[in-house]
Amino acid sequence: MKPKHLIWLRRTSQAVFLCLFLFLLIESRLPQDIVIDYTSAMGNGGDIRIEHPVTFFFQLDPLIWLTSLISDRIWIQGFGWAVAVLVATLLLGRVFCGFICPFGTLHHMVGYLKSSLKGKRLFQANRATPSQKIKYALLTSILVSSLLGLNIAGWMDPISFVFRSIALAVIPGLGNGLTDFFGMLARSDIKFFNLMSYSEVLVWPVFGFEFKSYQTGWAIGILFLVVLFLNRIRPRFWCRTLCPLGALLGVFSTFSRLRLRKDAAKCTQCKKCVMACQGAAEPMAGHAWRPAECLSCFNCFDTCPEGAIEFTFQRTGEKIKRPDMGRRAVLGGLAAGVSLPILGNLDGHVHKVSRPALIRPPGAVPEDAFLGRCQRCGLCMKACPTNAINPAWTEAGLAGFWTPTLTMTHGYCEHTCTLCGSVCPTDAIQALSLREKIQTPVRIGSAHFDRGRCLPWSGNGPCIVCEEHCPTSPKAIYLFEDWVEGPGGERRKVKLPQVDLTQCTGCGICENKCPVRGKPAIRVISAGETRSRRNQIML
Amino acid sequence: MDNFITRRESIKKLLRLSTGLALSSCAAVNFQTPRPAVADDAESAFIVDAKGQTSGYDIKTLTRSAFEAAGGMHRFIAKGDVVAIKPNISWARAPELAATTHPEVLKAVIELCQEAGAKTINIVDHTIHGARRCFAVTGAGSVAKETGANLIFPRSSLMRDMRLQGQRLDIWPVFTPVVEADKLINLPVAKVHGLSELTLGMKNWIGAVGGRRYALHQDIHQTIVDLAQFFKPTITLIDATRVMVKNGPSGGSLSDVTVMNRLILSNDPVAADARAAGLFGYSPNDIGFIRLARKWQIGLYDTDISQQHEVLI
Repeated sequence: MKPKHLIWLRRTSQAVFLCLFLFLLIESRLPQDIVIDYTSAMGNGGDIRIEHPVTFFFQLDPLIWLTSLISDRIWIQGFGWAVAVLVATLLLGRVFCGFICPFGTLHHMVGYLKSSLKGKRLFQANRATPSQKIKYALLTSILVSSLLGLNIAGWMDPISFVFRSIALAVIPGLGNGLTDFFGMLARSDIKFFNLMSYSEVLVWPVFGFEFKSYQTGWAIGILFLVVLFLNRIRPRFWCRTLCPLGALLGVFSTFSRLRLRKDAAKCTQCKKCVMACQGAAEPMAGHAWRPAECLSCFNCFDTCPEGAIEFTFQRTGEKIKRPDMGRRAVLGGLAAGVSLPILGNLDGHVHKVSRPALIRPPGAVPEDAFLGRCQRCGLCMKACPTNAINPAWTEAGLAGFWTPTLTMTHGYCEHTCTLCGSVCPTDAIQALSLREKIQTPVRIGSAHFDRGRCLPWSGNGPCIVCEEHCPTSPKAIYLFEDWVEGPGGERRKVKLPQVDLTQCTGCGICENKCPVRGKPAIRVISAGETRSRRNQIML
Repeated sequence: MDNFITRRESIKKLLRLSTGLALSSCAAVNFQTPRPAVADDAESAFIVDAKGQTSGYDIKTLTRSAFEAAGGMHRFIAKGDVVAIKPNISWARAPELAATTHPEVLKAVIELCQEAGAKTINIVDHTIHGARRCFAVTGAGSVAKETGANLIFPRSSLMRDMRLQGQRLDIWPVFTPVVEADKLINLPVAKVHGLSELTLGMKNWIGAVGGRRYALHQDIHQTIVDLAQFFKPTITLIDATRVMVKNGPSGGSLSDVTVMNRLILSNDPVAADARAAGLFGYSPNDIGFIRLARKWQIGLYDTDISQQHEVLI
């Protein structure tokens, strides 16, 4: 194959996979055009599912597969793709990085389209540096930490990182801005602007109509921008220096059959190959090629004017440089990998106390297993139609940072919805059928009243909004009539709401709809959640 | 290279352009006022009580005969009308759970409107559960697809502050497609409610407003009446084909539902509610908002109306 063709093959593949990734990301939501035949829809309408394989990119990711495998010792269905990627790496090198990875493609685009470096500075930036060891340190800590039961891969895994960033920061950020903008047009007194506001239908297929909010969304967004900005310091900074998946594939690609052959006799030391190198893999003659750093972009092959570089499956006999992990980097990673799970457990919420504010999605596995499986990718958060599932900030402690937790002031768990479990790539949230969810019932917590704030209980007047919205039948919130003392000391007869803990599933619609703003008068805590044997109230 | 526009210049140009546009379009300012109500007086008021008695009767036929008894849909809908239909599809519950208007009723009404020559039919409801799920599960989505009616997705850009001029509610955000129509048809479902005792026609207007609508419960009867004097439907058709008799208004179990096979059609919103209250064994005076609505002269009780029709199929 001619080098030019190979480059275009790579670009096409990158474009196709990036588009596919974005398409699947946008489609990770309640389907836009669901029509159920009402004559056949029984009960609560049945299970509504996303038709597209939205977990595909996670299943391609060997780091996600490996960490879930070693931390929770479970074989999760669907990860054949990840194994295939590992095999491909053994044969061809880091082709995943060069041809498939959507995050890599984004970096490639940023570095290529808006390159800040030229000439000598670019040459310097594209030489191998010791900082490339960092990714091996990160990989070591992730793997060791997984071995001890805490899966932290999701913080740095490129697929999780890019999904979380785009789904929880970029799309909601742009979407809220657009929704605001169209609201402004619609409220205008000028007819022309009013009419313009109907163009909202052009953007809603991507952004939806609602205002989305994710706690720590700002931090996720800033981190994303910073990581993209790093490409100005060195092209594909993330891939070379930080990516733990890149490190894993780098180790495997050392055994790659596809080798770079340099013809030192032809080389004129023009440095063009180094300038074009994406991975700082030292393609120039006179230096030992580093297959572990090579992102298989084939730029060097393409740019070399002398034809001194080629890729071949034959043994070259040339010296290559093994992955430069560095003893210190590995030891550092080891130390971090051992200490993180230990420190993460110190707040005791796996063994001793259950945090009331940590409300996991319905179908979530017990906390220790959950921390072993959850990739913090944000797929459940993107899919949640009411925006209830949020990345945890402090709710889940250090170990559970950015794992999903339900915030009932943002949304609530829809009684008839089982979407989050159906999309979780690592079964940290298990797929439930609607029948299972309602009839078991799967509880995520329990509600309790703050009688000092509740309108009828505090004598401020009638209100039964929580009872009205309670979705179980019979209702978990019941009313009884009694006299309460009003502000002027007068006696009022009102309906007072109470929670029946045997019925309450903790869905949180009561908290979400409670008219007492600021801090609702009825709130949900995790006590009573089905997944925990300890965190229970009733006998 | 000099003739490139700098960022600053392009922003300036854009600003100049848009200001020009804004100024020129000022000429076309059109202050929209909510359409005056289609009020009815005591003589023209009618009520139709349609009962399906034979087993396996057809809801569609029942709906059609109810309108025939009232003189046909063309009496209410003129050719070229934009019709807003306000069903109760606020809960993501399947039709047989009786939390929402039956899709067959909705479909029959849309078809009647189309036969009467309506230009556009909008199905409007500001739902409680997620709108997309509600549309799917209640069957409204499927009806809209079959009939070609527009299902309007409730969203912030369609909520606008309006003067309701009620006793308790003055300025409140209203879901604009409900009022931006030539004719408005109220299509509620009859069910029980924890605070107002019943959810009927007038209470259905809570689904036509936005804002802090869960605060309305603090004076539920007066606020329902305030809404009812603002939203004046051409006709109200109460779906009582099956009614939720307990665990209202959300229900969730078939044991909460009783089959009644009734439809109540009236051009007087109070009369329709008063008759429907009877289905639950209430006298209209037992229900605060019906009593208040008559007091504020929004309509009459069903017993005060001269044109009474009964349809049996």
